[in-house]
Order: sequence, then structure tokens, then C-alpha cells
Amino acid sequence: MKIKDIKLKAIFTVAIACASVGCKKITDINVSPNNPSITAATPQVLFPSGVMSTAAGVGGELDIIGGIWGQYWTESTTASQFRTIDAYNLQRQDFNATYSQLFAGALPDYQLAITKAKASGQNGYVLMATVMKAYSYEVLVDLYDQVPYTQALQGASNLQPKFDDGYTVYKGLLAEIDAALANPGSIAAADQKTDFLFNGDISKWIQFANTLKLKMYLRMVNAKPAEAEAGVKALYTAGGNFLQTDAAVNVFTDATDQRNPLYAYTVFNLGAVDLRASNTFVSWLKANNDPRTVKYFGTANPTPIDQGFYNAPQQAYPSYYTATAPALSATDPVYFISTAESYFLQAEAALRYGVGDPAALFNSGVKAAFAQYGLAAPSGGVYTYPNSSDFQTNLRAIIYQKWASFPNSHCIEGFFDQERTGYPERSAVYSTNQNYVAGEWVYSKNGVTGGKFPKRLVFPDLERSTNSNTPAEVPITTPVWWGLPNN
Amino acid sequence: MKKLLLASLCFVMLFTTQIYAQTRTITGTITSKDDGLPIPGATVRINGTTSGTQTDVNGKYTLKVSSNSILHIAFIGYTPQDIAVGTRTVVNVVLVSSSKQLGEIVVTGLGISKAKKTIGYAQTTVRNEEINQVSPINALGGLEGKVAGVNISSVSGTAGGSTKVILRGYTSITGSNQPLFVIDGVPLNNSTPGASDNFDFGNNANDIDPNLVDNISFLKGSAASAIYGSRGSNGVVIITTKKGKTGKPVIDFSTSATLTDVAFVYKPQEIFGQGWDAHFVLGENGNWGPKYDGVMRPWGSIVDNSQLLRPFSFIPNNVTNSFDTGVELNNNLTVSGGSENTTYIFSYGNIFSNGILPGNVDDYTRNNASVKISSSYKDFSVDASLNYVNRNGQFAATGQGPTGVGTTFYENILQIPGNIPIKDLRDYTNKFFNVDNYYTPWAENPYYNLYENGSRAKSDRVYGNVNLSYKFTPWFTLQLQQGADVTNFGDKIWYNVNAPAPGSWGAGANTEGGVRKPDVGAVTEGNYQLFEYDTKLQGLFVKRFNNNFDINGLIGANYNDRGGRTLITGVEGLAIPGFFNISNTSNKPTSSEAEAHQRLLGFYAQATLGYRDYLYLTVTGHNDITSTLGINHNSYFYPGANLAYILSQGLDLKSSALSYAKLRASYGETGSDTGPYNIYNVLAATNVGLVFGNLAFPFQGVPGFTVSNTLLNADLRPERVREYELGGEFRFFNDRIGLDATYYSRTRKDQILSVPIAPSTGYTHEFVNFGAVRDRGVEIAFNATPVKSKNVTWDFNYTFTHSRSIVTQLPAGLDKVILNIDGYGGQFVAVQGQPLGLLQAPVPAYDSQGHIIVDSQGFPKPAAANGTYGTFQHDFVMGFSNNVKYKDFTLSFTFEWDKGGKFYSGTADLFNFVGADPRTTYNDRRPWVVPNSVQEVTDASGKVTGYKENTTQITEANVDDYYYTNSNKAQAWSRDILDRSFVKLRQVSLNYNIPKSVAHKIGAQHATFGVYGRNLLTWLPAANHVVDPEVSNYGTDLASEYGEFRTAPPLRYYGATLKVTF
Repeated sequence: MKIKDIKLKAIFTVAIACASVGCKKITDINVSPNNPSITAATPQVLFPSGVMSTAAGVGGELDIIGGIWGQYWTESTTASQFRTIDAYNLQRQDFNATYSQLFAGALPDYQLAITKAKASGQNGYVLMATVMKAYSYEVLVDLYDQVPYTQALQGASNLQPKFDDGYTVYKGLLAEIDAALANPGSIAAADQKTDFLFNGDISKWIQFANTLKLKMYLRMVNAKPAEAEAGVKALYTAGGNFLQTDAAVNVFTDATDQRNPLYAYTVFNLGAVDLRASNTFVSWLKANNDPRTVKYFGTANPTPIDQGFYNAPQQAYPSYYTATAPALSATDPVYFISTAESYFLQAEAALRYGVGDPAALFNSGVKAAFAQYGLAAPSGGVYTYPNSSDFQTNLRAIIYQKWASFPNSHCIEGFFDQERTGYPERSAVYSTNQNYVAGEWVYSKNGVTGGKFPKRLVFPDLERSTNSNTPAEVPITTPVWWGLPNN
Repeated sequence: MKKLLLASLCFVMLFTTQIYAQTRTITGTITSKDDGLPIPGATVRINGTTSGTQTDVNGKYTLKVSSNSILHIAFIGYTPQDIAVGTRTVVNVVLVSSSKQLGEIVVTGLGISKAKKTIGYAQTTVRNEEINQVSPINALGGLEGKVAGVNISSVSGTAGGSTKVILRGYTSITGSNQPLFVIDGVPLNNSTPGASDNFDFGNNANDIDPNLVDNISFLKGSAASAIYGSRGSNGVVIITTKKGKTGKPVIDFSTSATLTDVAFVYKPQEIFGQGWDAHFVLGENGNWGPKYDGVMRPWGSIVDNSQLLRPFSFIPNNVTNSFDTGVELNNNLTVSGGSENTTYIFSYGNIFSNGILPGNVDDYTRNNASVKISSSYKDFSVDASLNYVNRNGQFAATGQGPTGVGTTFYENILQIPGNIPIKDLRDYTNKFFNVDNYYTPWAENPYYNLYENGSRAKSDRVYGNVNLSYKFTPWFTLQLQQGADVTNFGDKIWYNVNAPAPGSWGAGANTEGGVRKPDVGAVTEGNYQLFEYDTKLQGLFVKRFNNNFDINGLIGANYNDRGGRTLITGVEGLAIPGFFNISNTSNKPTSSEAEAHQRLLGFYAQATLGYRDYLYLTVTGHNDITSTLGINHNSYFYPGANLAYILSQGLDLKSSALSYAKLRASYGETGSDTGPYNIYNVLAATNVGLVFGNLAFPFQGVPGFTVSNTLLNADLRPERVREYELGGEFRFFNDRIGLDATYYSRTRKDQILSVPIAPSTGYTHEFVNFGAVRDRGVEIAFNATPVKSKNVTWDFNYTFTHSRSIVTQLPAGLDKVILNIDGYGGQFVAVQGQPLGLLQAPVPAYDSQGHIIVDSQGFPKPAAANGTYGTFQHDFVMGFSNNVKYKDFTLSFTFEWDKGGKFYSGTADLFNFVGADPRTTYNDRRPWVVPNSVQEVTDASGKVTGYKENTTQITEANVDDYYYTNSNKAQAWSRDILDRSFVKLRQVSLNYNIPKSVAHKIGAQHATFGVYGRNLLTWLPAANHVVDPEVSNYGTDLASEYGEFRTAPPLRYYGATLKVTF
């Protein structure tokens, strides 16, 4: 054995000697030919990538939950994909993909784009990526109430980021936007096409930043009224420079993997068998002879299903079985903030704080909302600002018009507004009842939350199972931090 | 390819020219009669002198003799022979074993033949006859249930589909658990190119022609495979092919014809027919209608004001009759022979199969051509083999079709109510069954899927090796081996474009106004080029020092270079129906390319020291240097040692009933590196998932790259596998009864896992070294020969395997690693302290008294977290094989019993959705209150303050919802997760050796005729009337153990074979 041992040793010595020379050659082949190194990243490739991830979330799965919980649509009687949403029966396993898409897809791209753009002095990209980061983050924190922020997006250096309360996240985001606005920069002509929203027009990004701030301050009116008022007034002191155009991604075509996300998801892939007109929204449209009906549903006289009554038997409810689907197109834009939404936000600010003429802004909003579909705005009825002495009457008019402007691509905002303002009101009776008031939200026929409406999502399993800092589960019927109490 | 073949042939032929030596130095090979393997270390002595030598590791010897010398050839366990040299220069001797146990020669690591008694670990070798007893088309297809610790199953009911082979249990959480396949000393690529949930085009190890296999050795434990270092951590399957034998040409011809049919399909309820919500609905795809009443009713669509009529009654064997009988032909012609110095073997094999799907949509052909030549001149010898394999198959999609593009046969067939004759629908262009008027808008005619969609896979493969060997001294031989395995694989998948014509039944003119979603169609072409080159230089030594000691060892270096290139291009949305070409679309093609390339340099040594032919100690060392790990972690060492003690030789036990006894103990370490490119962080071309669908860059000419969701890690270390094993072999009553028992414990540590991390970190996964799985098990093989007389011999073999893999460690903060998911919320996971591979899925919430909590609709509420339904792991696996010989007849049969374990069935899910499962007839489908259920009492803030008895019924309109995954999440998996147990009659064969006198009449030396069946009978537990637990469309590794998702049924085979040797 001795001899063998020596031999073995000799061989391994030779081996290691060979290795120290040969190793380099051996490991040389381990640089991936399939993916670029992360060191090669530029804002030019990261920014549009992040924008598309945000559009996929806001204009995809979140548009579906907004569409159903915002009572524009309901699940069909002959399909079942979204029954759990319509029944308010969401669990930890639901909406993981969108949470992950926003956190691991969109936000790191914005973050790295900001870092790279700062390092190379491309301030235009710093502003654009910061606004989009804030926009995406706000959607997350509005849905979950608390999310990691101060310790988030740090990769391996912090695998279990702590959760921050919504107000902290808001303050942080507002500060980030302000910092970026302080030095807005510009976008080189060659890079303009990487901006799907405004083609590199930084002046519009400044407006988008201001309008986003306005929206965030107005979210705080219930929980932090003083900060809300101060924030809104400061925006007006600085010139009140808000969006007069759509902040929207309008690059979708009817081609493979280039379609509008909601269309791709529900029509192209699932065959348009699930989403159907909800009687809540349709009854309001009919009651007001709204010309947009044909744009929203492809017919001036859509057949609706009462909210959440997807298991109605055909014999008793034959019309449900021929209910109308939303009119979606592969080329629909995804709106982040529409022109109409910008005006309605300004109208509400004017109503609350006297910083402008609410009636004029309301009219601009209604006009923009109809112009979005190439229609002239009607007047009278709900389309005219009530100019009431009662604050709630005026607010109600604004929020109803806002709600009616959000389908088909920005429904989640309609859901948030109800939670914040209480409009549309909640109906005491189901929509099949003769006393039902058109447009009022009804509790889903198959709701499982004992008559209480959903107001948030539960923390997803992907986060809970990997991050021990995930807070205890809160029922989906509990309002988020800015929600209207007793709503 | 042709050019390469010719060049290699020329090269081989160089060595076939005979050169006659004039010296009186003779050479020769000593082989064993039992298995034809060379005997290393056999003594060759000239009678009456002290001069002599011993055979080298290849069984070869060289000796100076005079013409009147008589050689005395001896090896323990064999009857010695005396042979007169005469004028010969080559004296080959075949020894006959005197004791099978002492003399048996087996193939061990690196293809080295060794006396089995010298090895200190469990070793099973199966021979050609056993491999081909039932004419499988894959080398391992005939061994199911026969070898303890070796789990072989076919996961697919498709001809040409993959064979799953797992040695012992699973230990790698997310990496590979596949054994290394080695053929004639060279690693074989066993990848499954093109595989997905929809298609299984077969694994590459299935390419080997079983007729040409001489024997297969299974190295199950790490002590046995330690010599393979990083490649050996999941065990090694060593395949040795046949060699030509000295003598005049021998022609072997075998032909088999096999019929195939469905072995098992789900059994639907026979009470309720077509409809929904308890009403008959013409256009429904469910069995939620009224009870069958046998009354004549119209069914299907209304076309030209006419409708089909048939009784409203259950159609027996509806599903079985939707398939045909398949056929499989297996032919092989082998010519072999040789002179004293040179032997050759040429073989051609051809497989043709047409599966059980009607028509030619599942054809499969394979051609194998092989040549192997061995030649020696004095102390120099060369072996070379070259194999060409061509396969060409058509496959029907399983699982769920790509949404928006097309659907699959198996999913559509499940959605046909029990009163609709499936077989009739084969006429898929008939006006009642065509795209426009298929009876339901919610599904498609399954036969449309078969005949308008499809796939084809083609593979050309060349593998082989050249072995040069030179004997420096009688005890030392140097070998150089170069092997290559190159595959060019291509697949094409197509879905035709269709849409119901406006105004037709399918476009909305049906009872529910449902519109059948158009299929936009698609074509995808994939090309996979795989390569593996392996170079080995090793010195082998065998020496007997005196009567007490002998040594048998090797030392060597190995360089392995392997990888592949993949290019996949596809289009969605076809312009011209039926024309399947990338050009036929208005869309831009999507294309992806990927390369993988890795290298491994290994140095190894092994020595077996024998003491007095009864005590053997083997030590092994292997050092690997890999390309896939960082420079500080890429060189690592694996030791191994094993001890064999032949009790019956060491002690004198001749007078006892114990005829042979051996004890074994071993310890071995192996491990594995990681795949290429897991070290440096990267960006990825942006493709945003939408749950259903994607957004893929570029958009409007703008490219997008995103920070990859997986964090890579430059500090990765190699995985470590440590295994010890204890065992023994005992024979009684002159070997009439034998027992081989093994206990092992294997732990795989520092596993390289891509573990999920919190999305809020900005990433979803991170590569880390963590996690340990310990697999402990017992393997028992018992055999007996209850009857042994002149005319009758009855051999009985029993194998028992129990293995249990436990997850002993997971990364901190991670409570589970997800191994697979089913798309509805069920998960296959690794949880610390639990058996590897738990099935976790939604469960009902219970109050503290154990009542089911139901919601306001009366449906059970799912608990906040998933519950555990069990593990996939069997409690045990048993095999019973019998072999009865009566004169010239041999009857063999094998049963396998797998007990325990669970699996998920996506077939069961759809089976419940459409109300076909017999369980859906509960309470005659009348309203009921969930037994023992309560409802929550809440205060104003929504907080639960207590529970009250539930009185809310599941209404008649909601009975169907009760069985949907979407609307009764809490209980869906209790119906979809099924017992994995089964008993199968794996094979039966009856062979008849045609009497020599008859064989001679046709010029043959001998001939055999046989009939056989495989997978003839299947028994499943009463709780599983849905699907065979062995089938899966989740691949062939750990993830496949989660179960299946609407895959093809398993097959039953029965056929006849004729084997003739001329």
C-alpha cells in the first residue's frame, strides 16, 4: 500500500500542477453566450423593459381584478376562471405572478436604470425611471397596504426585507420624485423611441410626475388630511403643471406577444369566455344613455349579468347565458394616467382646496373621457357638474364620472377610488331587486366574506414563504391605510 | 455522416490484417463461459515447469512456449484446464465455472471486468437473454421490477417515449437524479431534447438496440461509482455490447411482432348524462345532466335542420374504443465472427411501431447500425466501435394545449359526455362533427387534434469509441480510449388554424350562445445539437505476489467535453390552413438560441488488494476539475473504499448448508458540479409573463433587457454525496437458495439549489449551496430453485426495495422548496425534516372542534395555508419473478407491487369538472349540507368571534361547482391526489427452443420461438379509478413524481418472437 500511496500522491501532485495551468482554460468557457452580463446594462434597454412589466401588471391581471371588483364586469355563467375574484375568495396563492412581476420584473429594472443613468449623467432617464418606479410601487402598496421599501431590491445583501407601512412608502416615493424633478435633464434624440409614453418629451414626464404626486396626496385625504392639503397646495404653488395628455403605453399590435395585455390574457388565450358585462355598470350606462356603451361593450344595448351570479341556472336566467363581453382590442393602449383622470384629479383638488375651478375641470375631464373614444361629451344630468353647496354631492359627481371613464384598461383605479371616497355607493339590495339604484355597487351573489366588500389583497405566498418579516395576514375586507373608514 | 462512417471503417480495417508471428511466443484471452467476459488475473502455467504468467485486466496473456508445452489454466471458481499448445500462436481458452458465486465475472466502474467476489458493494448484472426476454425496444424496458434498488418505468404511453430510470432513491432536490449511462466505457448523452408537458420525444439512452447489449451492470451506490467522480453521484448504468467471437461467421436473426392496446383508462360514472345544472343541454361538455333513461334523443348540433338521434344512455367502453390496436415490429440481424486475432460484429436493428391512436399519427421508426471490431497483435490491441442511430417519430400532444393556439386530444376526449359515441367522431370532417358544428363550443373534436395538429421528431446520432491498449509487462497495461457521442435532433410541432364559420353552431348558434374560441395555429421548429467527447488514459495492473496477496488496480486521467446548441423558431397565427411552415404567417417569428458547454478533467486511481482469495480491500480516489464552478471551488477530491470478505472461503464451511457467504462494507463519496453559466449575473431579453400569454420585446423596434430574476453565485461549491453501505450474500444448499441483502445510507449535502427568494429583494431565485437529503434504504434479493430435475427447473426471484429520502436541511428562512406545481395551487415541495417530495395543496379550514368551516354559500373554506396530502415515495417495491423450464419450454413471469405514496392527477381534475367521476354522484346530486360543518360568526369589524352550525345547502345548481377546483378549492385536491400503489403483471413469456434437428433442417444452429406480454394486467386501489400512477408528462426526474396532467394512457403489449442463429 505504501508504494501505491506514493503513486497516488505523485499523480495528484501532477494533477494539481496541470490544473493550475489548465484551470484557466477550463473555466474560460463559463461565460454565458446566452445572456449579456449585468455589467452591460444600459438605461436604454432597462427602462422600456420596466415599463412593459408595469403595463403587464396594471393593464393585465390587476385590470381584471379592478374590472370585477370595480363592478364593470363579472364572471360568465359558462366559465370559471375568475370565480374566486368575483366571490372575494382570494388566498395566498393568488396574484403571486403579478406581485412577482412588479417587484422582481419592473422595479429592479427601474432601479438599475436609475443607478446607471446617474453614473453616466443621463438625468432624463433618472426622472423617467423614478416616476415609473414610484407609479409601480404605489400600485403595490395600495393593494397590500404594507410592502418592503426601505430594505427592498437589495438582492443577496438583504434576503428578508422588512415591510414598511404605506405612509412611509408614500413619503419615500414622493421624496424620490422630488429629487429627480430637481434635475430633470433630457433624452437624446436617438433614445427617444425607448420612451413608449412620451417619446422622450421630458416636459411631459414632469407633468406625469406632478399628476402622480397629486394622485398620491389625494389618496391621503382620509388618513393624513393635513399632509394631503399641504402637498396639493405646494403643487399648485409650483405652477400646477399637470398632464393634459394621456400617460399611456400605446405600442400594442395584433401580433404574437405584442398584444394589449388584457386582450392577450382574456381574449386571445382564454377565448373571451370569462368576462361579461356587470349589471352594476350597465344599469348606470343605460340610466344615463351613455354613448360610450357601444365602445365599452360593442353594442348599445349590452346584456349584463348581475354581479357574481355566475352559477345562475340557465332555465331561470336565460339572458345571462347570452351576456355581453367587454369590447377589447389587441391594440388598446394601457393607461397609467389618462387625460380625463388628470382633470378629474384636478377637479377634486379644486373642490377640496379651492386651488382652481372644479366645474371647468370637471367639464374638461368629461370631455377628455369621451374624446378617448372619439365621442363628443353629452351634457346635462350626470355629465354636468352639480355645483352644489354640498361637498359630497360634488365629489360624488366627479368620482362617478371618473369611475365611468376607467374601463377597459385602467379598472383598478375605479376600485381604489371607491375605497377612498365611498363612490359609487354600496347598495343595500341586490341588483335584481326593484329598489336597486343603477350604478350602486352590490355585494357579489356568491361573495364569501359575509357581506363585506374586498379592499385589499392578502400577502402572497411567494413573499410569505421566503420572508419571515411578512406581517400577519389581514382579511381582504380590511381597508388599507388610506381607505375611507366605515365604508 | 456517410463519409465519417467510411473513414472510421477504414481505420478499423487496418487492424484486421493478420500478421503471423514466427516466434514461439503465444498470446490468448481467457474468458468465462457463463457470460463471455474476460477473466483478469487467471493463472497460465506451463505444466511441469515454474514458468507462467497471468492474464491482464482484459483477460489477455502472453507466454513463451515450446511446441510440446501443455498449458495449465486456472482461476478460482473455475474448473482448471490443460491445453496442448501445438503449433498455434494464439490460444484462447474458455473456462467453465465450478462455483457461480466464486467465479462470476462482472463489469465494474470504468468498464473493468472483475470477479464479483472481490467487490465490497451491491452489484447487479443482467444478461442479454433477460434483457430481451420480452422483446422491448429499449435496453431497459424489459427489466421493470426485476432489480432491487433499480426503478424503471415508462412514463409515457407513446411509442418512442421516455424510460425513467432511478437508482436507489432521489437525493437531489432540484438538480438531476439521472444515473450516468456508460456504453463500452464511454459516457452516453441521456438528454430528452424537445421534451415538454406536451411532448415526450424520448430519452437518448433509449437509442441503444437491446439486441446488441451483452450485459448491463447497475452501480447503485457511491462506493461503486466513486471512480466516476462528479458524474457518478446518482449511480451508473454500465452497458456492455456484444463482441464477435473467434470462429466462422455466426448470423443471429431475431424478429418480434407486438400488438399494443390501452392498459388502463379512467372509468366514468354511468348514471348521469350530458348537461349542466341537472338539465340536459345539447351543447354541454359535462355529465351534469339528467339520469340516463335510454329514451331516444337528438344529440349534437342542429345542421341543415337535421340532428342525430340515439338513446340517452351510457356507452360502455367508450374511451377504450376511441383507441386502436397498435403494432410494433422489432427486427435485428447480427453477423459476428473472427479469426484468432481479430473479431468483428455487425448489427442492424429496425424498429417500426404504430401506436394506439387511430391513423398514422403516432408512428415511430428506429434504425440501428453498429460495427465493432477487436484486434490484437502481440501486446498491442485495439477495439473500435461505431454506432449509428436514426429515429423518426410522430407524436400527439398530451396535457393542456398552448392557449390561443390549439388544444389536445387527451384534454378533449375527457370532455365528452358518456352518452356521446367517441368513436363516431373520428369522421371529423362530417358535417355534424366538423369545426363548425362539433356538438360543444367548449371543446374541440379530439380527432381534429389528431389529424390536423401534430409533431415529428427526427434524430441522427453517432456514437462509438476507439480503445488502444498496450501491455508493457504481464502485469501492467496502458489504455487510451477516445469516445464520442454526437446527436443532431430536430423536432417540428404544428397546430392548424381554425375557427367556426360565422353563424354556425360553434360560432354561437348553440343552446348557450357559446362561441368556440378560434385556434390561430402555430408551427415551431427546434434543432438540438448535442455532443460529448470523452478521453481516458489509464494504466491497469493486476499482479499476484504469492499465495497470499494479489493486487488489481488502475490509475488514470479523464477529460470530458460536452454540451449542446439549441435553436428554436416558431410562429403563431397561420395564414393558409394546413400549410405548416415558418413563412405561413403575418407575425414575426420568435426565435431563441441557447448554448451549453462544460468541461471536466478528472484524475483517478483505484486498487483492490486481495488476501488469500477471500479478503479484498478496494480504495478509490477521484479528483475533478470543472469548468462550471468558480476558480476557487472548481477542484475537489472524492475518496472511496470497500471491503469484501468471503466467509465461506476464509472459514471452512464446506460441511454446512451454507455454500457461499460474503460480507460487504463500503464507503464512497461522489458529488456534482453545477450546470454551466451559474456563476456570473446576467440580463435576460425581456419577456413579460401575463399568467396567460406574454409580452415579448422588441416593441416597435425597441429592444428590452431585464435584470434576470435569478441571482447567480460565484461562491458555489460542488455538491457532496456521502454513502455507506453494508451487505451480504449468502447461498445455501449448493446454491439452491440465495439471499443478497444491502442496507445503505446516502446523504447529498451542499446542494446547489436555485431557491425562491422574496420577490421584494428584486429577484425571485438565488443559486445557493444548501440543503441536504438523506436517503436510506434496504435492498433484498432472494432467489431459490425449488425444483431442479432433468426436465424441470423452477427458479424463483424475489426483490424487495424500501428507500426513504428525507430532507434534513434547507436554507435558513426557507420553509419549502417547490419542485413542481399543477397550475391550480397544488405544489410538490421539499420541506425540512419531511420526506422529499410532499404533495401540498389547499385543504379545508377547521374550527378547534374539527368542524369544517364553510362560507356563506355553504362551501368549505380553504385554510390559509396549504395542507400536506402525503409523499410520492412508496413504502416498498417488490418484484416476483419466476422462470420455469420444462424440457425445451421456458415460462417466465414477473409481478411488481409498489405500495404506498401519492400522486397528483390533472386527469382527475378535469374528470371531476365534467362530472364523470363516480364520486360526483354523491347524494344522487340532490342538495345537501356539508356534514359536520360550521359557519363563522363575525363582529362588526369582520373579526371571527365564534362558529355556528351550518345549515346552508349545496344547492342543486351548485352541485357541479362543488367539484370544480375554482369554486371548491378546499376539497378539490382530495379528489385529485390519489394513491400511488399498484400491482402489475410486468411480463409473461413462453419460449420454446426448437429442437436442433428441426433447426438444422433450415440450416440453423438453434432457434427459439416465443410469445410474450408486457404490462398485461394492472391492479389499482379502489380509490384510484382514474389513471395509472406510473404515467407522467412532467419529464423523467423528481418533478415527474408529482404526477401527471392529462397525459396519454399506458400501453399493454403482447407479441411473438423468433430468434434464429445460423
